[in-house]
Amino acid sequence: MSVDTNPPINNSPSGEWFYKELFEQIPFNIAVINRDYDIIGANSSFGEYFGPWKGKKCYNVYKRLDSPCIGCNALLAFQDGKPRVSDESGIDQYGHEAHYVVHIAPIRKDKNGPIEYIVEMSRDVIETRKWQMAYQVLFERVPCYITVIDRNFKIVRANENFRDNFGDVLGQQCYEVYKKQKTKCTNCPAAKTFKDGQVHHSQQVGIKKGGEKAHYMLTTSPLGRNVKDVAHVIEISTDITTTKKLEEEMLEAERLAAVGQTVAGLAHSIKNILMGLEGGMYILGKGLNKDNKQMLNHGKDMLERNLNKTTSLVRDFLDFAKGRLPVLKMTDPNLLVIEIIDLYKEIAENNNVKLVADTDRKIRKAPLDPKGIHTCLTNLVSNAIDACQMSETQIGEVHIKASEKKGSLIFSVTDNGLGMDYDIKQKLFTTFFTTKGGKGTGLGLLTTKKIIKEHGGEIVVKSRKDRGSEFQMIFPRKHLFRIYEKSNNNVK
Amino acid sequence: MIVDDEADVVDYLTAVLQNNNYRVITAHTAGDGYRLAKEEHPDLICLDIMMPTQSGLSLYVRLRRHRLLADIPVIIISGMEKEQEFNFRDYVYNKKIRLPDKYLEKPIEVDDFIKTVENLLKKRKKSRVLREKD
Repeated sequence: MSVDTNPPINNSPSGEWFYKELFEQIPFNIAVINRDYDIIGANSSFGEYFGPWKGKKCYNVYKRLDSPCIGCNALLAFQDGKPRVSDESGIDQYGHEAHYVVHIAPIRKDKNGPIEYIVEMSRDVIETRKWQMAYQVLFERVPCYITVIDRNFKIVRANENFRDNFGDVLGQQCYEVYKKQKTKCTNCPAAKTFKDGQVHHSQQVGIKKGGEKAHYMLTTSPLGRNVKDVAHVIEISTDITTTKKLEEEMLEAERLAAVGQTVAGLAHSIKNILMGLEGGMYILGKGLNKDNKQMLNHGKDMLERNLNKTTSLVRDFLDFAKGRLPVLKMTDPNLLVIEIIDLYKEIAENNNVKLVADTDRKIRKAPLDPKGIHTCLTNLVSNAIDACQMSETQIGEVHIKASEKKGSLIFSVTDNGLGMDYDIKQKLFTTFFTTKGGKGTGLGLLTTKKIIKEHGGEIVVKSRKDRGSEFQMIFPRKHLFRIYEKSNNNVK
Repeated sequence: MIVDDEADVVDYLTAVLQNNNYRVITAHTAGDGYRLAKEEHPDLICLDIMMPTQSGLSLYVRLRRHRLLADIPVIIISGMEKEQEFNFRDYVYNKKIRLPDKYLEKPIEVDDFIKTVENLLKKRKKSRVLREKD
């Protein structure tokens, strides 16, 4: 087609050839139409996209229609002389659905003359549209709750999964919808993202539209390129209600198993005591029948012993069951060792056992629960003295040591007593296990382990039969300080 | 022979057995029990499981693996629960040794205990007679 030309600017390319070339090479489909919708000119790109156009109306070519489109933008541009941009769907020369963005501009022959033509520059956006649709499907169907909120915490978009579970809630405040509350959540992750433009994660509990509780993992991300001025935040949540339920069921099962174990342990201890009581009654009965004073005394002693065992069992069990939270304060580990030595000195001497304190002045103070550690050391030292007593051949010796190794504070209690075989070691930390017959309730080491765990530490046992045993309580300092800070925060 | 670390249990079982005219020897540790069994070759052993230093389980395995002691009937008398009894059976089964002749739970029924002892001793006597005839 021929294109009207204006005088060239100095040193600029000019002439009819130039404008023809420009018209051809510009990377758009260009068509020019008159007021009767006749296409009076188009570039090759247009022809290649929409097919033959000569002698046809624009609506024939773009949309294969027989009459002008409803709300035709070209007609409007003829009327008001304003350029326009619109998103259109049509049919390409092969009969496939076409999506394109069209820019419409009016053309006058002279500056103040009437609009005679409209130039329509369109560009295929079918790939973009495909991506948009894929994104839309992904957004809607992804098995997460997705909402987009504005700075007023109003939901401006929500995906299908969210709508199914929380209702069609566009325009409502996110906290009303997720939590059914009238005010913003404390520690709101979306507020943090609005503030710092960063991604934030949190675990939340909300209420679905039916009123059921929903546990979800929430991630909030800024929408937009500029992290300094976040206009929208996208909230993506994974529903973990089922996982939480399973967790709760597992916890419940563990709790029941623990109760079962405790009941079984109690029954075991009670059976032993009953056996002693019945034995006492039996011997007492025989003593009465035979009028045997020795048997009577023996039976009475047995009854007394087993009644005392009942008292010890109840007391130890209540101590264990009651539990207490560790109250950590900066404590000198050496002092704890010395306290225990003072406490057991006499008992050890009476049993021909030598107690040795092995302290180290270089050890720094550590956050410990002195009462708890005192209980642990008491249990271990009393066990060690018993182990020495039960050993027939050796002179008993028990070492209590406080030391420091690789960032951990270590208390160790070592004896040269009986030591243990594999079976005994396996049962050491089970409820009500005792090797001390009438003397033990089987709760001491279990309580010790519990206290050590509450301090974030662990207990290590080394033992060789007939050689002795070593019990080490290992407390990594970083765990102690973490628990210390946590308990201080709780107090505040 | 009675092997149990709890003196009261040993005294009780001793009193019951003596009252039924049995001669009784006793041990309070697994080690003593093994030594005494080798010396005395008892007709029957009442054995506890949870004992200091060496458990009754270890003693049981040692007895069953001893050429001259393997045939002695053993009654396990323990405060074991059923599950622990099954663990014991499983352990013994895996060691490929004979299971105990009887399990009795603490506290014992005196009549039941005596009947068990009588039956096991009769059985042992019978098998000895048969062996001597062979």
